[in-house]
Amino acid sequence: MSEAGLAFDGVSAAYRGATVLHEVDLTVDRGELLVVLGPSGAGKSTVLRVAAGLEPVTAGRVRIAGRDVTTARPGRRNVSMVFQSYALFPHLTVAENIAFGLEVRDTPRAVARERARTAAETVGCAGLLDRRPGQLSGGERQRVALARALVREPDVFLLDEPLSNLDLTLRVEMRAELRALHDRLGATMVHVTHDQTEALVLADRIAVLRDGRIEQVGTPEEIWRAPASTFVARFVGSPAMNLLPAGGPVHPTGAAPPATADDDLQLGFRPEAVTLDAAEGAAATVDRVEVVGEDAYAYLTLAGGQPVVARVPASRRPGRGSAVRVGVRWADVHVFHAGSGRRYRPS
Amino acid sequence: MRPDSRARRQLALMLAPYLVGLVGLVLLPAAVTLALAFTEYDLLRPPTWVGLDNVTALLDDPVFRVSLTNSLVFALVAVPLRVLLALGLALLLHRRAPGVGTARAAAVLPAAVPEIAYGLLWLWLLNPLYGPINQLLRTGGENGLTALGRTPPQWLTDPTDARAAIILMSLFTMGETFVVLLAARRALPRDVYEMAALEDATGWDVFRRVTLPLMAPVLALLAVRDAIASLHFSFVPAFVVTDGGPPPYATTYLSLFVYRTAFEYLRYGYAAAATLVMMLLTVAAVVVQWRVFRRYRAFYRL
Repeated sequence: MSEAGLAFDGVSAAYRGATVLHEVDLTVDRGELLVVLGPSGAGKSTVLRVAAGLEPVTAGRVRIAGRDVTTARPGRRNVSMVFQSYALFPHLTVAENIAFGLEVRDTPRAVARERARTAAETVGCAGLLDRRPGQLSGGERQRVALARALVREPDVFLLDEPLSNLDLTLRVEMRAELRALHDRLGATMVHVTHDQTEALVLADRIAVLRDGRIEQVGTPEEIWRAPASTFVARFVGSPAMNLLPAGGPVHPTGAAPPATADDDLQLGFRPEAVTLDAAEGAAATVDRVEVVGEDAYAYLTLAGGQPVVARVPASRRPGRGSAVRVGVRWADVHVFHAGSGRRYRPS
Repeated sequence: MRPDSRARRQLALMLAPYLVGLVGLVLLPAAVTLALAFTEYDLLRPPTWVGLDNVTALLDDPVFRVSLTNSLVFALVAVPLRVLLALGLALLLHRRAPGVGTARAAAVLPAAVPEIAYGLLWLWLLNPLYGPINQLLRTGGENGLTALGRTPPQWLTDPTDARAAIILMSLFTMGETFVVLLAARRALPRDVYEMAALEDATGWDVFRRVTLPLMAPVLALLAVRDAIASLHFSFVPAFVVTDGGPPPYATTYLSLFVYRTAFEYLRYGYAAAATLVMMLLTVAAVVVQWRVFRRYRAFYRL
């Protein structure tokens, strides 16, 4: 068997008769942090729940650390999960919460308490051991849930949007800590999120999920530089990538990729690739401008009516209603098939 | 007018009907009862003040002492059994499955039957000769004995069996307790149970370490409420089915004692004194309930 920490082999799953995962193939290497990214309803949580054994598969195999666990019950998979709600036991202290998994597995109480303390120290919540969840802040609960997940040294950590209930500052902080924790433990982790920034910052690799299908799997850099489809291109990056039909109103400059004339293509380029003062650019008017600190986002309408977003330095932002000339270089342009939305690869 | 004083006036206005009812129907009669407890009153002559005579007489009254003991024993046995039965059914029937809806309805139904009709039904069920319960117990046995060769319970004539019969009757009317526990169980978060499943907790561990502690506040409140109510729901069965017997007073509970003393022997003052004891028991239960609730409030941030 391979060294995969977690492997999905053509896994399908259904919820109340509706298929929510369609023959998903996915491999998470041992020690890798894979982020499953997608909009709500894409089946992200189902991926985790199938891995954990909380939902059955309707087809395919699930392997964890080389073992086929497709029909194994959750408790026999040696995975631990951090729920979006943290799922802490309200009647137990932090120490009892962390030790719960050990105690129901008949670990002697003293040993369980000692390991709970060690786990709490690892995630920085050792000072909270005697409190109850009701007395903790969101960030503290998050740490306790993490400590509970790692106390048992599982083969795979499953994290279901663990940062989504935290405010922005705390989220950024916990994101960095989570990454550091992963690097320290060398653990296999699957992290689910709908936040593309979180995915780009955290992940060794990202799997983009759409309607129960894997749209693309790759490193954050691959996802950013070579999105496999218009969906990935627009989902990752904010504001979303501009999409315009090829051949029309915007004509990129520089060396064009070889393209066949009969292909119906679309051009994608990110807001930061747009220049507003191109000599031979397409005419557009500025609808509105949003200033975000140093940057400004200009929302434009081309002469043909298509919208385009441009990111420009706030100091050189155009006025509302002013006329600009939109330019972009071929080097910054992604080419997609208009029909399928897949990335165009010249033969 | 300042807005908060207007809000206060609205509040007072809306509370008024309840307040009138509370004062007129509960507090005043309670005050009258309290006053009557220190008098002798037979409805014919005006009450005469007798001081603590009624209370001292109660303490020496063997019938009252038997009634008090019966009521306390009934509460101690019937209340835990009722709550346990309701809990068991709630945990059994909280999932969606074929037949669960019917089973839930069946569990609640006895509580919806009028009490007198329910009592008369049990009079038939418990009949030692042709009642279905004893017929069932006699199956497989000979000469009217059970399969183990023992005499089937003499529900209405043996003191112990009669007390058991009243408790048995009270068990099936736990519909309301069942509904509350069913709702409480269904309100528990699912992810906590999934968490337990991931830790491979056994069914017993899940019950002991998760379900029971999470439902404990509700269970405690229901138990106290049932304990208070048990002073009352022992009345109809004892009145209709056993008539306070078998002799002398095997199933005479406080409520029946008060009823007899007041309406059959026309000793209103004496009955009021006994009612006072019931009220003290209720107050004691409410204090327990309050303490339990305060304890859990700190626990769960209710």
